[in-house]
Amino acid sequence: MKELTISSDAPGERLFVLGNEAIARGAIEAGVQVAAAYPGTPSSEILETLAGVAKELDIYVEWSTNEKVAFEVALAASICGVRAMACMKHVGVNVAHDALIMASYLGAKGGLVLLSADDPWAWSSQNEQDSRYIAEQGYIPILEPSSVQEAKDMMAHAFELSEEFKHLFIVRSVTRIGHARSDIVLGEMSRERRRGYFKKDPSWLVYTPVQARKNKPLMLERFEKIGKAVNTLPYNQLRLADRAKLGVIACGLSYSYTLEAVKWLGIEDQVSILKIGTPHPLPKELVVKLLNSVGEILVVEELEPFVELHVKAIAGEANIPVKIHGKDLVPVIGELSTRKVTEAIARLTDSKPPVDFAELDKLEQETAPLLPWRPPALCPGCPHRASFYAIKLAAKKVAREHGKDVEPIYPGDIGCYDLAYNPPLEAVDIQICMGGSFGIANGLAHVVEAPIIAHLGDSTFFHAGIPPLIDAVYNKANITMVILDNSATAMTGFQPHPGTGYTATGDETIQLKIEDIARACGVKFVEVIDPFDLKKATETIEKAIRFDGPAVIVSRKLCTVIELREKRERKEKVIPYYIDQDKCNIKCDACIELLGCPAILKQDGKTIIDSSLCTGCGICAQICPYKAIIEEKE
Amino acid sequence: MIKEFNILISGVGGQGVILMSELLGKAAVKEGLKIRGSEVLGMAVRGGSVTSIIRIGDEVYGPLIPLGKCDTLIGMEPSEALRNITYLSKSSLVILNTAATIPFTVSLGQSKYPSLEEILEKLGNASGRIIKLDAAQTAQQAGSSLTTNIVMLGALFGTELLPISIETIKESIQARFPAKIAPVNIKAFELGYQACHRALK
Ligand SMILES: Cc1ncc(C[n+]2csc(CCOP(=O)(O)OP(=O)(O)O)c2C)c(N)n1
Repeated sequence: MKELTISSDAPGERLFVLGNEAIARGAIEAGVQVAAAYPGTPSSEILETLAGVAKELDIYVEWSTNEKVAFEVALAASICGVRAMACMKHVGVNVAHDALIMASYLGAKGGLVLLSADDPWAWSSQNEQDSRYIAEQGYIPILEPSSVQEAKDMMAHAFELSEEFKHLFIVRSVTRIGHARSDIVLGEMSRERRRGYFKKDPSWLVYTPVQARKNKPLMLERFEKIGKAVNTLPYNQLRLADRAKLGVIACGLSYSYTLEAVKWLGIEDQVSILKIGTPHPLPKELVVKLLNSVGEILVVEELEPFVELHVKAIAGEANIPVKIHGKDLVPVIGELSTRKVTEAIARLTDSKPPVDFAELDKLEQETAPLLPWRPPALCPGCPHRASFYAIKLAAKKVAREHGKDVEPIYPGDIGCYDLAYNPPLEAVDIQICMGGSFGIANGLAHVVEAPIIAHLGDSTFFHAGIPPLIDAVYNKANITMVILDNSATAMTGFQPHPGTGYTATGDETIQLKIEDIARACGVKFVEVIDPFDLKKATETIEKAIRFDGPAVIVSRKLCTVIELREKRERKEKVIPYYIDQDKCNIKCDACIELLGCPAILKQDGKTIIDSSLCTGCGICAQICPYKAIIEEKE
Repeated sequence: MIKEFNILISGVGGQGVILMSELLGKAAVKEGLKIRGSEVLGMAVRGGSVTSIIRIGDEVYGPLIPLGKCDTLIGMEPSEALRNITYLSKSSLVILNTAATIPFTVSLGQSKYPSLEEILEKLGNASGRIIKLDAAQTAQQAGSSLTTNIVMLGALFGTELLPISIETIKESIQARFPAKIAPVNIKAFELGYQACHRALK
């Protein structure tokens, strides 16, 4: 028997998948023809999965330069009658926002779905952010799955809904959906492939003030229809318990925690539950039914009190005197869990959790001081480490000449290199969002007297680094902009980008050179360095900092993880370094304290290199004052 | 009806934690079981903590194990097992690989690594039973240090608590690896199985 895969046309069969694979499968079942995305945890595997089957299933799949472009690519396909999707993490939706809001005015022809992956507890993000507010602002309906299976089903259905109501739909995933694992039952796979047709229709597609005024009522009309229809969608379900005094309204994944909590407390017959799969618009009729049947309500949802506020509004409007709880009992920060939901329900039902949580909290507090700190770190051999070493050396030298108290400022960005804010590198002074380093550097240049050396990665450069680079040229900001070019979007899983020379589906394409772009944008000082040649790299960065006007350094070296992978494929050996204990001055510690490389360790009072971790980059050997670090012989 | 069974695997990026849950999940699905689980992958490649959860059972809904409801904790690394202590109860079993992976923050003097005795004492107080294994050494014995995770997977099956047959999980292992290295992994699985089985007698 052939092994089942994500592209198997095998309705009814069960497959064990990652949540993001299930989401991709949903799109495949719906016959998606265009999928575009920019990587971002926890969403990246969706497009990767689709890219893997793109040729086999005749789907156009692209990594776009950023989320706004990704969304516009999908929107265009929809306008031409083709089913299309864009996926991104929650902060990516901010980048796509401008186009997104307009898409709601346009509506959809081919099914159009935006997948937003929210990240409660910011496991791998710069913030927590609730996509439902953006949906609300734009009159965009949003579907929120309670399980991996439902994520697949909703995703597939969203395309149909989008066509039925001629409107864009959002599916909101969260980390514990996208990065959950589950068995799913596969559905039918649509084989329909449409040809895109662009019909000229300015009254629909061209947005002048007149058009905006004309089309807004149409958007509102579509949204109102959707508001009625959600009451009968299978994702919203009301289960009234005979003896219930409490009603729980559980949105998305919170529903699964609620089911477990009620079971844990043994009060299934005492709680009515309204499962919400469409937080926006809410199934008003079901909400009212529940509000009328109980004395107290608890709204359970991850992040902000979105459903809670709407339910309060519905209760107020319908004049239903019911006490509504939500974020007073369920945290607004972080992920929910069975425990958190259990505690809230226990309080409102006077029931007792079977586990003494206070006891477990005490145990956790007692244990915490024993645990070693294990932060993620730049990999051994990461070229970013060498770049930062060189940047700081050069910057400090120049700063000193400006005065004793002058400190260089290092605006940083989002990528693997943000790990360098930790000691010992401490090479990131401010980091907010993608491209933010260059933008912030521009502002700093006009208000402080200090060398300003901003850095961002190659993928981030193409995503959001070019406009602030042009700003620096245009407005004469005296800053140094370093692009850490490791030929990958490493942080999110090594996806290709316009600088790598190949596309999402592995096809060769034009490879853009960052130095060419910088020169074309009018930067007069542009140099490419090899960060592993520390001396030369430091000298070149120093020149850039001294240059009067914006300067660009492209620090180019392939990401170590990819480098090692390629070496393995070529059957090439990695030659690690070792420390000659006769030469090493045990009091020195320069290698440890300046580089923070995970391969250099203290063991039994000696400094050693773990040869299983060392990649042979040789940076430590270049900085060792005692020349004690030596390359092993083959 | 299949009773709820919760497994938590904790370790460090690079130890193959995710592969273990993939193998478990595939095998469970083959057996017709319902499976839920999740993991935090985020920055795992870069040496951070990794946990993966696998939950089996007809009435399991959430992707996380409720506190105190872990049936088996597989500690791929002692301090990482300790980090998840609040999932344990007196009816939990801990299978611990005793080989420590010391984070670089210890070399930098930013944090301390507890002694194995301390870890064992804490875990012992919180759980019903601990099975200690030197999985790295067992992996060597099987023929490759890269099979430590498969040794631990074998140990999990050695408890004979899982509703998944040995044949099915072995099929999953066989299917996952190229023909050349599959036998080493099967051997690792068997050695892990036996080690745990012996310890439990
Ligand atoms: C708007 C937005 N989109 C996506 C992400 C997710 N993300 C974090 S870092 C990163 C890119 C990293 O690539 P690069 O700049 O090349 O640096 P590297 O990790 O390779 O060092 C991405 C896409 C984000 N934080 N914000």
